[in-house]
Amino acid sequence: MIDTIILNDIMQALFVFILGTAALIITQRSLVSLFNIYAIQSLIMAIMAIVLFIEYGTLNLMFIALLTLAVKTLFIPFFLHRALLRIPIKRDLQFNFLSPSSSIVISAVLIFIVYFFFTSFAGTLFEDRLFLLGGVIGVSLVFMGMMVIFSRKRVITKIIGYLTMENGVLLFSLFMAEMPFIIEVLIVVDLLMIIVLSAVLAFGIDSSLEEFHKKLNRFGIWIED
Amino acid sequence: MTDIALLAFSVPGILLVLILVFSGRNRFLGNDLVLNTFSIIHSFFLLGLTIAILVSAELPVYYMNGRYFAIDRLAGYEILIATVIFSLATIYARGYVRNLLDKGEIESNNTRLFYGAFNLLLPIIMFSFLANNIALFWIFLELSTLFSALLIVILKAKENIIASLKYIFIASTAMLFSFIGIIILFALSRDVITEGSLNWDALLEIAPSLSGTAFGVAFIMLFIGFGAKSGLVPFHTWLPTAHSRAPSVVSAILSGVILNIGIYGIIRLNAIAIQTTIADNLKIFLIVAGIISILVPAFCLITRTNTKKFIAFSSIEHMGLLVLGIGLSSPLVIFWVLFHKLGHSLSKALLFFCAGIFHRQYESNKYFQVKNAFKLQPLASWGLILGSISVIGTPLFPIFLSKLNILTGLADYSMPLLFIVLFLLFLVAASFGYYMVRIFSQKDDMVQLKPYQTPQSMRWPIIITAIALLILGVYLPDGLVTMLNGIVTDLGY
Repeated sequence: MIDTIILNDIMQALFVFILGTAALIITQRSLVSLFNIYAIQSLIMAIMAIVLFIEYGTLNLMFIALLTLAVKTLFIPFFLHRALLRIPIKRDLQFNFLSPSSSIVISAVLIFIVYFFFTSFAGTLFEDRLFLLGGVIGVSLVFMGMMVIFSRKRVITKIIGYLTMENGVLLFSLFMAEMPFIIEVLIVVDLLMIIVLSAVLAFGIDSSLEEFHKKLNRFGIWIED
Repeated sequence: MTDIALLAFSVPGILLVLILVFSGRNRFLGNDLVLNTFSIIHSFFLLGLTIAILVSAELPVYYMNGRYFAIDRLAGYEILIATVIFSLATIYARGYVRNLLDKGEIESNNTRLFYGAFNLLLPIIMFSFLANNIALFWIFLELSTLFSALLIVILKAKENIIASLKYIFIASTAMLFSFIGIIILFALSRDVITEGSLNWDALLEIAPSLSGTAFGVAFIMLFIGFGAKSGLVPFHTWLPTAHSRAPSVVSAILSGVILNIGIYGIIRLNAIAIQTTIADNLKIFLIVAGIISILVPAFCLITRTNTKKFIAFSSIEHMGLLVLGIGLSSPLVIFWVLFHKLGHSLSKALLFFCAGIFHRQYESNKYFQVKNAFKLQPLASWGLILGSISVIGTPLFPIFLSKLNILTGLADYSMPLLFIVLFLLFLVAASFGYYMVRIFSQKDDMVQLKPYQTPQSMRWPIIITAIALLILGVYLPDGLVTMLNGIVTDLGY
């Protein structure tokens, strides 16, 4: 049992870190750093679950923390690093529609919009202001992840955007209503399968290996609009 | 004890995949005809099982302690449509996949991957209908995206990878919004039930006591995901690409089965929504969403030059019509919405089966490549014409009945909207006519094309769907009417 004020302080500090990692994911160009930032973001998420567990003692939260730690901070970044070894690109330089700085401005505006929206309609659904803030940060994270998917060119960066969105959903569920644990496990399994499949496919698109392209073009008759 | 049925639904698919994974490069198991025979037995087995449960058991049947799975009349009806389309598609795949292999468009060591994914997709789709829990429904919906994306990418062209990734990203991103909706819904249900519940039946019971505004937000969030899976505008962009890139047998399943799952979710959700305090607002939301989804494809159709893309755009329009009907939510309209799903699935399967034969013959989906079609491919030509006539809602076809009744429902709601929708549907019909005239009136440039010998296995699904459409248009079996009426009462419309 920690003092509520200290809990509030720790949580708010963690919220700031989460937003910091999200901002980095929006602007960072190096793929290796992107994976590392994502791992750190997931680590913060796991710490949050543990802090909540110490405060409320729901065993469910502990399992969620362990699951996040194992899958999102260790396995997925490791897998993506391995995949990167086989693609001859190291950086994602192009931004469509939005430049990094305008994305940051838009996300700041989005956080405010989400905040006002939540305070007006769903204030009663959250236990207190800290939880409301958690929900707001969670949904904002979802939108920031979506912006990454929109504005980045490489599929592998889009995957990181999708993962960020998923972290946002997890954050939202931590502060609004935890799902039964079995559902959380199934969601992580589903997430893993999507990541693996899209990473394997991304490799076909992002790679500029001659050999791969030759293999693709053999079936030229399918290439038509 | 009844849980055995769940096992029976899931075991054959999983077993096959396990065998395929562990058998290595076994010649016999890698043979496409062996795998296809298994698929045919599998889908007919599940079809028989569903019929047996529907006939023998007292519905609804709940499975497992937490009532995580259940089969009621709506789920049974949807599974029936899905298994029928799947059974036809597996028969069609026998000749179709063989030809893809002969032409080298699928590599022979990918046959296992294709049939493995195919045989897993079927139980996944069934379980998405069987899931009584929204979160489980969400998971199976996600899995269905995953495995259908795998089936699209089986043709290893770069465009297929792009189409498949587009599908995964749009659908999964939208589905994450759905999950936020699920969490809100769960929090809302805890105001009424202490433990909280996400079961469809429990939510239906407590619907009147759910807080209105918050439910509205949850509804719209869930609608984003389900809508994206059904290809509703503005989340439709994946649909034409994926449908036109996929092998035709997969396109038939995407259009005839997978799109239905999203609509099924919206039907269930709307049954809860009509009991809440903001039912009227959500009604307007659904009607507007439906009309937009008719509007965009109506204007896109006329300029299409790719047969499969053309059919895909027509699917978006039909999904829009269904959502419009769900929004109207009168018992009569819902009855015809359900019937429309059956008619649409059969018509789309017919159209894609025929488009597949055209692609085999001319090695292109473009209309201007089609030469001398009636002579080279009489069955596919007539199938395409019959399917088009059926899809635009000509009398004596099932879609005519459902369209007529949905539009009558719309007339009761608002006359101006009826005229707008009628105009749009007229545009769609005109585009169909225009496309058919173009495809069958290409000048024969005297190049002797060798006719593609359509195997029997590709002919029969076309003949069966065509006959089924012709019969359903003029004769409504009593069993079907009782079932649909039962569904409407179950949902509380």
